[in-house]
Amino acid sequence: MNTIILEQVTKNYGKVQGISNVTLSIEPGVTGILGPNGAGKSTTMKIVLGLSRPSIGAVAVNGVNPFDDLELRKNIGFVPEYDCFYEHMSAVEYVSYFLMIHDFDKEESIDMAQNSLAELGLQDSMHRKIRTYSRGMRQKTKVARATAFNPQILILDEPFQGADPTTRHLLMEKIKSWAEEGKTILISSHILHDVEYLTDNIVLINNGRVLASGNRHEIRKMMSNIPIQVKVSPLDKKKLRPLFKRMLDEEWITAGRIMEDEGEIILETNKSETFYEILPQILEKENIIVQKIMSDDDSLDSLYSKLVEGKQWK
Amino acid sequence: MEISKMIKRAPILFTPIFKDCSYRLITNKVTWILIAILMLPCALGLLVYYEYSDDRISEEVDGDTIYYTDEGFLLHEDLREVFLDLSRFFGMGFIALLLGIMFSSELISEEYNTKTMQILRTSPIHPIEILAYRYVSGIITGVALLGLYSTIFYIIVMMGAGIHGIIEELELLALVIKIIMLNWIGFLSIFCAINVYFEKPYLICFIYWLFWEQIISGQNYQQLTMTHYINSIIYDSLTEMGWIVTADDYGLVNSNNDTIATDPLLSALIIIIIGILFIFIGSRGIASKQF
Repeated sequence: MNTIILEQVTKNYGKVQGISNVTLSIEPGVTGILGPNGAGKSTTMKIVLGLSRPSIGAVAVNGVNPFDDLELRKNIGFVPEYDCFYEHMSAVEYVSYFLMIHDFDKEESIDMAQNSLAELGLQDSMHRKIRTYSRGMRQKTKVARATAFNPQILILDEPFQGADPTTRHLLMEKIKSWAEEGKTILISSHILHDVEYLTDNIVLINNGRVLASGNRHEIRKMMSNIPIQVKVSPLDKKKLRPLFKRMLDEEWITAGRIMEDEGEIILETNKSETFYEILPQILEKENIIVQKIMSDDDSLDSLYSKLVEGKQWK
Repeated sequence: MEISKMIKRAPILFTPIFKDCSYRLITNKVTWILIAILMLPCALGLLVYYEYSDDRISEEVDGDTIYYTDEGFLLHEDLREVFLDLSRFFGMGFIALLLGIMFSSELISEEYNTKTMQILRTSPIHPIEILAYRYVSGIITGVALLGLYSTIFYIIVMMGAGIHGIIEELELLALVIKIIMLNWIGFLSIFCAINVYFEKPYLICFIYWLFWEQIISGQNYQQLTMTHYINSIIYDSLTEMGWIVTADDYGLVNSNNDTIATDPLLSALIIIIIGILFIFIGSRGIASKQF
């Protein structure tokens, strides 16, 4: 249950290709969909939501085609990137209207809308017209509308956009708790740090193609042909040059750089496992005590840079 | 979704949409520009009244003041023709049509522009419900506005004939309001469907009206137009009211000069069917439209 499956989905807009041959399986929990503008994230989300039909391939949400199935929509909440309000309605009227569409009666809908908005911190302004709202308040209203009816699948397109730090933190905690309840959450964000905080499951997409999907640590491991960078900081700064020279003797070190001011050397290797196995032995033999060994390459930011932007350390 | 379920939840879902739509329609600048244009004949009517009211010939009959023209004809019988002729251009003609085109665009295209339609399409609401609520809201608002306008215009035009004249021709006012209602039932659904399918609805609506309704009506195949059925009802009602009119006055003749007016009841039924049919066609468009 609560699964999203795309099988070899291609979507063309005339001669322009939105996404190409995308195959994905999204299970309960949070999955981050990442990619630059125009990569195909929104197209993928629209296909999952049934707003767009695939040109080729098949999509199934809970086993049914989302384009045709009205019942399925009772189970999907969508927070779009853009504004989509009846501006002169109040947030309560707006959220409760969509709850009434979900067949809740009027009083129940108003109660649920008020609770949902209050949970997101809009208790003092929920009766004001939406047209008077700030960007953050609008974002909260969108989230309240999408989640008030307790859907099992949530599609969140840039949910932190325009949110202040407090709202962002609140939303992240909410998303985490929804994931713990077993909901399937597909989230796109430009802020990699936010996605990194929420999940290790990612889909990296660029030019309409899925570059990688799955656990980000696993993805990094599989990228054995792409070198990793490791920063090593000896406690004694005099050992910086001897250590650097010693490390360059190893054939699995492909490049290096001394950062005198930072008191560290940066080493590049394409054999990370060998590196982490042999480095302690070398340090022991050379009697060098290190302050820290750190690699940024395991971060989502680095993975994104390498896969999506094609950036390599030089 | 079953029809019974749609009907059952219609009162709950329609009310907020009606409030939203009527607010948007009434606060739209174009509505007020068109209302200002509609008020022009009212202003003219007031001017004529104050200019010529002292020149009227009157007679007291059973406590009623009855006014006559210089030629000795009943003044209200003259004025009612002025009211009908001007209404055929303003309240139920070209200006009303522009109002209908603008309303349909505000009701449908604006939902696409503000992307609320995308949200509705991800919600468990049937496209017929989406379109029908907006369509009915448009009819209620449009008929209320034009009905009120026509009543004001009727009073201004007919007040030259005094209270007696106003009361005598109330049947004509009822006919005009009935035609406004049927016009909106038919045309608004066609315009709404056009708004679903086309990206430049204003132009397409206008082209449809100009080339289809105006050129084909008055021809042998005029039964294919809404105008034919509207004219049939006007012609029949005026005849019933004792007016001296011919089918030719309303273009209800074919090339052999035979009268081809349709029965008014059947005409009204056909207009309602056109309204329902285009709501179905429009809802198919909403269901199949991709974003």
